[in-house]
Amino acid sequence: MKAISRTPQGILLWLSWVLATLASSYGTTLGDEPEIWFEPLVETKPIFLLGSDARYQVLVSRKSENSLAEDATHSVIFRTQPEGIIEVSPTGFIKPIANGITKLSAEHRSGNVAERVVEVQNWANDPMVDFANQIVPVFTKYGCNGGGCHGKAAGQNGFKLSLLGFEPHDDYSHLVKESRGRRLSPASPEQSLLLTKATGQTPHGGGARLDPNSHEYRLIRRWIAQGMPRSDAANPQVVSLSLVLNDRRMQPGSQQQLSVQARLSNGMIEDVTRTAQYESNDTEMAETDETGIVRVKNQAGEVAIMARYQGQVAAFRASVPLAGEVSDWPSPTNSVDDAVLKQLRSLNIPISGVCDDPSFIRRVTLDLAGRLPTFEETRLFLSSTNTDKRNQWIEQLLSSNEYSEYFANKWMVILRNRRTNPGQQAGSFAFHQWLQDALAENKPYDQFVRDIVAASGAIDVHPPVAWYRNVTDTFGRTEDIAQLFLGQRLQCARCHHHPFEKWSQEDYYRFSAFFALVRSKDGSTVDDPMIYSDFGLARASHPRTGQGLEPAGLNGPVVSTHEYEDPRESLVDWMTQTDNPYFAKTLVNRYWKHFFGRGLVEPEDDLRSTNPASNPELLSALANHFVESKFDLKELARFICQSRTYQLSSEANGLNVHDRKCFSRFYPKRLSAEVLSDAIDTVTQSATQFEIVPASTRAVSLPDTAFASYFLTVFGRPEASTACECERGSDSSLAQSLQLANSKEMQSKLAGDTARAARMAAQVERASSEQVEELYIVALSRAPNEEEKTAAFQYLESQPDRRIAYEDLTWALLNSKEFLFNH
Amino acid sequence: MISILENLSSKGFCDAIPRRSFLQIGGMAFGAHQIGLADVLRADAKQTHPKSHKSVIQIFLAGGPPHQDLWDLKSEAPSEIRGEFNPIATNVAGIQICEVFPKLAWHMDKCAIIRSVVGCKDRHDAIQCLSGWTKEDMRTIGGRPSLGAAVSRIRGPVNPSVPPFVGLAEKSSHIEWSDSGTPGYLGAAHAPFRPDGPGLENMKLHGVSLERLQNRKHLLVSLDKMRRDIDTSGIMAGMDANNARALEVLTSSKLIDALDLSKEDPKTIARYGDGKPYQFQFDGTATRNDHLLVARRLIEAGVRVVSLSFGRWDSHSKNFDVVRDHGGKLDQALSALIEDLAQRGMLDDVSIVVWGEMGRSPKVNKEAGRDHWSQVSCALLAGGGIRGGQVIGATNRLGEFASERPVHVQEVMATLYHNLGIDVATTTLTDPTGRPQYLVEHEPIRELI
Repeated sequence: MKAISRTPQGILLWLSWVLATLASSYGTTLGDEPEIWFEPLVETKPIFLLGSDARYQVLVSRKSENSLAEDATHSVIFRTQPEGIIEVSPTGFIKPIANGITKLSAEHRSGNVAERVVEVQNWANDPMVDFANQIVPVFTKYGCNGGGCHGKAAGQNGFKLSLLGFEPHDDYSHLVKESRGRRLSPASPEQSLLLTKATGQTPHGGGARLDPNSHEYRLIRRWIAQGMPRSDAANPQVVSLSLVLNDRRMQPGSQQQLSVQARLSNGMIEDVTRTAQYESNDTEMAETDETGIVRVKNQAGEVAIMARYQGQVAAFRASVPLAGEVSDWPSPTNSVDDAVLKQLRSLNIPISGVCDDPSFIRRVTLDLAGRLPTFEETRLFLSSTNTDKRNQWIEQLLSSNEYSEYFANKWMVILRNRRTNPGQQAGSFAFHQWLQDALAENKPYDQFVRDIVAASGAIDVHPPVAWYRNVTDTFGRTEDIAQLFLGQRLQCARCHHHPFEKWSQEDYYRFSAFFALVRSKDGSTVDDPMIYSDFGLARASHPRTGQGLEPAGLNGPVVSTHEYEDPRESLVDWMTQTDNPYFAKTLVNRYWKHFFGRGLVEPEDDLRSTNPASNPELLSALANHFVESKFDLKELARFICQSRTYQLSSEANGLNVHDRKCFSRFYPKRLSAEVLSDAIDTVTQSATQFEIVPASTRAVSLPDTAFASYFLTVFGRPEASTACECERGSDSSLAQSLQLANSKEMQSKLAGDTARAARMAAQVERASSEQVEELYIVALSRAPNEEEKTAAFQYLESQPDRRIAYEDLTWALLNSKEFLFNH
Repeated sequence: MISILENLSSKGFCDAIPRRSFLQIGGMAFGAHQIGLADVLRADAKQTHPKSHKSVIQIFLAGGPPHQDLWDLKSEAPSEIRGEFNPIATNVAGIQICEVFPKLAWHMDKCAIIRSVVGCKDRHDAIQCLSGWTKEDMRTIGGRPSLGAAVSRIRGPVNPSVPPFVGLAEKSSHIEWSDSGTPGYLGAAHAPFRPDGPGLENMKLHGVSLERLQNRKHLLVSLDKMRRDIDTSGIMAGMDANNARALEVLTSSKLIDALDLSKEDPKTIARYGDGKPYQFQFDGTATRNDHLLVARRLIEAGVRVVSLSFGRWDSHSKNFDVVRDHGGKLDQALSALIEDLAQRGMLDDVSIVVWGEMGRSPKVNKEAGRDHWSQVSCALLAGGGIRGGQVIGATNRLGEFASERPVHVQEVMATLYHNLGIDVATTTLTDPTGRPQYLVEHEPIRELI
């Protein structure tokens, strides 16, 4: 029979007890390997199948024409000698049919043959079915316990299962005991409502999910016939997942069968290739199906496929190189470039050249100071012959006020500096000022975080207390701190163990216990609270067991606190240890995204283990540098800006045009709402007036997000209602286009009597070439080329009114992509 | 085949054949085609790609209309509960509604009445009626999106120059009653387009002639040479597309035309009425009959969801005067809307929902008013391909609670999503924390779909 099928009916369930030791054994260098082999190459022991439920997915690899290893599992012919011991599908999926020993051979059309011994024991003795290990995964695989069906909190039509099967004891009670036991009939298993519903014999809202001829159906029927045994706590549990093959260099358009093994607590290994669920972290690069076949497409790069089963995960990494050889590699400037170049070399992606001076000064000034370089600055920079001028300009920006203003804007938003009523103004302004000062004096990041996380007192004395005013409940605090500073999203774990995350409810509540003693009392006004840590032992109650949990960092040791200690200090101690696995990485990834528009991990604050970095080596190099510099934020910005990678041109060289995450060139990014608003003011020489604040206040230095502005809203200014940077929108929209092209606001800025256009029109003695050049330098930091000059002059001459002509020219520059993007 | 046409001409619907097939086959028949099997098959195939898009008109009766004085009259109850109105028959045998809706009574075959809406919070806002959720749900990350915002996110615009979600409600002094539907955690990009804000202003030229705008565009094209393929995120390409649309909006202005009733036949306007004089408005919205007509025009222009707020039904006093006034006006506009949609062959694609945030107390108070009653409420649905001519659920003799088939607010919302072709059992939105969120947690009303 053909075992591979995309329909659920065709899938077999299996349980295999494979006693093979599956050491991670993928050899990357090809040399003395045979022409064809069973994976893993170093394994010589027989494949051992225990019981009739055992299954095993074999993997066959071969040396391809260009001497790289490639998957041959689906292109060989399997034979057994003697026959009648096992059945092998054309896709290499084995099931036992009798006790005995047989030799499995795989023959490729080239004539090469690989062999492996398979032994079957205990074929006739069906073990008792284990509910938690065998039945619950069926519900997960077929979506029965998903959030859209019986897995949601209220269940579905009166029948509830725990979400994704994380509470098998509850599931057992719901199935066996609830509804007066009508769901299961041990005397006549086929008549059980569970099976008649699942197969669609009885009307079922979810339709027919299960084929009566499938292995899963027989398994559930057998479990019912055995009298629905409860899971024995002594039965082995799944403790980890592993892959027979962990990574592979794959040719574009090729495929790879995966083989997934679950290690049980008793040391046994079970093949779960067909029960595990698969997900690609980049479906534009690779796709996968429910039988564990990975198909890569024609895009070069790296992609990870996550396999999950019973709360455990394992990831397969495929790297897909571009065809051909690239010989021309530049020399690295610092260790950022080392890691980037190493990856590009391995993927054969050619790198773009270094950007020119105009692009550099515009790019780095926007990224470090949130503004355009001025006319004078650009002229000076472009005319300077100093070979170190880029580094000097970086230094100048880092010591400018605009640097701290711009980064305070970034932090202010994710630290949720909102103002919902006028009374909160003093606090939100003070917190913003504090952020700006801390960034200006370059407060070490560990201290910066401590000042916020362990903030106590009144806002006017210690402004970071405002964060506790903005984030009022323990859940919010727990989740924000984990996401902001550790890149871990705990939200799901508040209510259930998330299938893609490692965090359990216990992890969540232990972490939340650090905040259990935080109290608030009225300060000078209701909007100005005093935050303090109460006396007592920090404990959080586990929502299911009611157990009082002591605080612990994520994956960290349990912390014993004293009654007179603020547990948050212990939390920060744990977070800021130099070997904390999340703290430094989260920050450097956040900063990387700031400069490159794309995090090494995306989203930038989601560093879970199942979401690997596009370049793990680079992430570690950055984190190490950050830790070694004693958490120096300016040094990190400097380190990134000085790298060749940051200074690459955004122009593609033909081969790297599709590269989206290896940083072989600079990726353009749209100016953020605030920066764009300021930039338009700069170019038009006008000012946007915001309420409350002094007239010259720029949009990037607004202290909180409560300032009404249609412009900022349509261009995606975040509301600061979450700790997620994703709140900031960068999508384009019709409303934006209309705002730029045709709003009263824009028109009045363009046509004002003191606007640049009016001034230029008044300078009758000045040459138009100079004026056009000024416009270009102010807006784009470069002089116009000949073609652009011609177009501009022609336009100026065609218009009778010079002022109108300059307004139109300015309008065109402001609406151009080159202006709207940092590139 | 012939029997199908006969069925159609006799205005009867056989249960075995979906209503939509009728309309499409019927449309061809009136187009003087010879109908053959191929045509019927084509009509069948068309069913999945309807000519007019699926859409929703949300008519919010702010304040909470008295369920027992609209669709669920309690003529058997004692007078202090029964109130002043008598029931009238409708064109569906056995369904009776209040006497202030004589025109609507002729369209009851196209409507479904739900007499047992439950799950209402006793709170004066439109959020539940527009989203199915309360203000508190997911508040810390922006709140749940309304139906219109979710549809905007899932489906995007039909026509590039027309926003997918438009809110017509004019600001009322109790602002929660003029809510057009929050985008919630989906963010400003999916907020309803309100024809009174800067969004509309930007669609009209200001101090710049169309000719000058064209000049500017030509200049921009000659100067804007940056290649958009260097940006693989798609934002640059999107920006170019939106810039082109912006010019289209400014030159063709389909949306502006849709909002402009001077372009409508005066006879049609008269059929809808103007809802004036506005009475009992206080801190609520006016009875803008014209908004229902504008809603139809917007849907025709390509809008997917139109929300509007009709009157102020918070009848703590003079309940019967309020219902006579507001109800009479609603009767006129709503029946005209249903007729128009049916006549244009759009009724199966356009869902209309008419409801408020709660019901009203069974007992008439001494001001001849009815007070808040969130135990049970009512809704009227029409169009969208639902099976009309039905009453779902019932209240007890005094109209105090749902005695049969309670229908949760979210079931109504799920039905609207269903009518839009969105499967609530599988469709999720990603919230800012990265979690997938279902649109609602209830299923569509089985009896209607």
